[in-house]
Amino acid sequence: MAVDKAADQILRMEHITKQFGSVYANRNITFDVRAGEVHTLLGENGAGKSTLMNVLFGLYQPTAGDIYVRGQKVKIESPAQAVKLGIGMVHQHFMLVEAMTVFENIILGDTRSAGIFIDRNARRKEILELSQKYGLDVDLDLPVTELAVGAQQRVEILKALYRGCDVLVLDEPTAALTDVEVEGLFEIMNKLRSEGKSIIFISHKMREVLRVSDRITILRAGETVVTVDIGELTGEDLATMMIGRQLVRSQYTKAESKEEIVAVLDHVSYHKNSKHNGLNDVSVNIRRGEIVGIAGVDGNGQSQLAMLLTGNIAPDEGSMELKNSKVAVFDPNAFIQENVAHIPEDRNKSGLVGNMSVADNLVLKITKDKRFSDGNGFHLKKKAIRSYALEMKEKYDIRCSSVDQEARNLSGGNQQKVILARELEAAPDLLIAVHPTRGLDIGATRFIHDTVIAQRDIGAGVLLISADFDEILEVSDRILVMFEGKIMGEYSGKNPPIDEISLAMAGK
Amino acid sequence: MGTFLANLILAGVRMASPLIFLSLAELYSQRAGLVNIGIEGIAAIGSLTGFLVSLITGSPLLGVLAGAAAGILVNMIFAYATVTLCAEQIVYGMAINIFAPALAAFIYRVYFGSGSELVQAGLMGTFKNMLGIKSNHFLVNLFLDQTPMVYLAFILVIVTAVYFTRTKSGLNYKAVGEYPKAAATLGINVIGIKYLSCVICGALAGIGGAYLTTCYSRTYVDGNIAGRGFIALAAVIFGRWNPGGVLIACLFFGFCDALQIRLQLINNTLPYQFFQMIPYVATIVVLAIIGAKKAGPKSSGQPYRKEER
Repeated sequence: MAVDKAADQILRMEHITKQFGSVYANRNITFDVRAGEVHTLLGENGAGKSTLMNVLFGLYQPTAGDIYVRGQKVKIESPAQAVKLGIGMVHQHFMLVEAMTVFENIILGDTRSAGIFIDRNARRKEILELSQKYGLDVDLDLPVTELAVGAQQRVEILKALYRGCDVLVLDEPTAALTDVEVEGLFEIMNKLRSEGKSIIFISHKMREVLRVSDRITILRAGETVVTVDIGELTGEDLATMMIGRQLVRSQYTKAESKEEIVAVLDHVSYHKNSKHNGLNDVSVNIRRGEIVGIAGVDGNGQSQLAMLLTGNIAPDEGSMELKNSKVAVFDPNAFIQENVAHIPEDRNKSGLVGNMSVADNLVLKITKDKRFSDGNGFHLKKKAIRSYALEMKEKYDIRCSSVDQEARNLSGGNQQKVILARELEAAPDLLIAVHPTRGLDIGATRFIHDTVIAQRDIGAGVLLISADFDEILEVSDRILVMFEGKIMGEYSGKNPPIDEISLAMAGK
Repeated sequence: MGTFLANLILAGVRMASPLIFLSLAELYSQRAGLVNIGIEGIAAIGSLTGFLVSLITGSPLLGVLAGAAAGILVNMIFAYATVTLCAEQIVYGMAINIFAPALAAFIYRVYFGSGSELVQAGLMGTFKNMLGIKSNHFLVNLFLDQTPMVYLAFILVIVTAVYFTRTKSGLNYKAVGEYPKAAATLGINVIGIKYLSCVICGALAGIGGAYLTTCYSRTYVDGNIAGRGFIALAAVIFGRWNPGGVLIACLFFGFCDALQIRLQLINNTLPYQFFQMIPYVATIVVLAIIGAKKAGPKSSGQPYRKEER
């Protein structure tokens, strides 16, 4: 790494404070970037990483503080200005216009070339040169909707490079990528660094951070904790600084349940011939007091398995038993009445009603309960709902400014806690949890695992679907591996044969 | 060619022209993410202003320009409310539909007093008259016996098509209607383009209204827009938000309008109201068939807030 600190400093943010109403998202943060380094911003959800970057990119105006680019004090009032200063940003939620092609997305807002009309050939040549130089391989003529997530991200990086950025901000770039795509991204990042570009990498995944960073700045609750060089650190150090308390990595005790079987799938198939969105002759049983983990690469029928077990789809072949009686009607409400709980894979799309308040989301499934309404849901008891919501907020540690806040404004971890509270408060007989900790930080993940284990211990049967193999290993009592809609094998959760499971996940 | 059919086509093109202006107005608005259902009202103001200025100055062309200016002025209410204040677009569009025609009627009464006889202004001349051509051949009538406004309408369709598909500015403009936040991160002035869209929309809707009093009928009557502002909304959907499609839609509705007038003249057994219904029934039928698959700009109708978390 460079030695002369002041000279090659390309960007410096000094004492940045950003307030939303009375809430401090950033408080007195100082942070700098040198030429040709990967500087990671590490912190839990809601630590203020994205806010800081939005300030840098001119999307938010800081309440206080200064920004220096190449030693010059600047005021960044719009993204256009940030782009002019050589700052590019790849947002966590991609900023791609779906109705347009890759080419159109890249040249959007272009001010470099003269003329009214789009000179397709000239622009294409420039873009192709860039994409070759940095190994950013994409088909320019495809509509962006037809690209996989990894390719969309390459388009975003190309967009930034095309605008001539020297500092590239990557906001949680690995959150939505598969492992292979993550490797590709790291290669691109190395290439960019070797070409002298600086990268601000935002993440809360320690393994990645330790691999790619030159320096790390840790944010906690909107404030800078420390900036450190990578050489001096271990994962435990980072974790401690990040969440501000010592993480005790306890191994959960694995149960070996002999209790009654709560759900059975008997040779079930659904869209059998679809390798990635179907089920092929699946037989599973789930006992009370155990966690059955489904391991496998995303998109091998796990979503369909979850939908089937929650009554959202009906099988083409085979049958299902729930609490010793055969399921006749596959209907979500019927399953809910049987006390089946569901933590859906996409909390924004199917877990919560984003525009409704936290309190309303909490009682969505139980509005007909006498505690919360008169006349079978005819008249809602707002006061009772509110006090129940406050109780849940305490119990599940949901951090929101008020239970009347819209659920969509909560951070991912807190949204998931709202779902947990709703699904687990009735002590379900069967719990289907799909990617329950996806995109969450260590603290929230830990809380969710503890909660799910607690449900197991009071007698729930749990099916856990996760693409995160570590998570499966950590909490499952029994592990099943899925590949192309089939169950490839069953393994004990105690001392699982990791090599064997990995092979099964690859279909061998 | 039969006289009936020839007259039908000629009238159809004439009837389609105001619809083209109004539909393009709506198209420019929606492409920037603003669903403006107030076209009908803006056109009413444009229509009256066009008539008054044409009457006073004796120049229908000045009338049209004044109509455009009045349209822009009225639409700035919509722009301020929906773009700056992020108010509900449908509500403000409706407000303009109620407010603007009433204002037009009010100005008319104040200017002429109530109960006065119909005042008539001059109409814009056609190229055929300007050139002094005497021939009455169908093609001559179709291509030359038209006011400059008809040509302008068709030229605007082509210009719009080129603008949205071939120019950098047009691409940026579309991005604002699709994904304003993404557009903003690329340095596109989202608020600016939204205001620009309101200026274009107001001007075109005003011109569409003024067409009716400077090229079509010699006088202003309350309610003379007769739902064309709403048919324009349908035409934009029918045309799948593309200028070419919108042109086809307008010609279709124009011919329906021409047809109903012709049928009214021929037939005297059925009440004339039945024929008057034709363009509107056609609108409903077409929307029922086409409207199901929505393919409009993604962020249409949604306000754009700068610092939303």
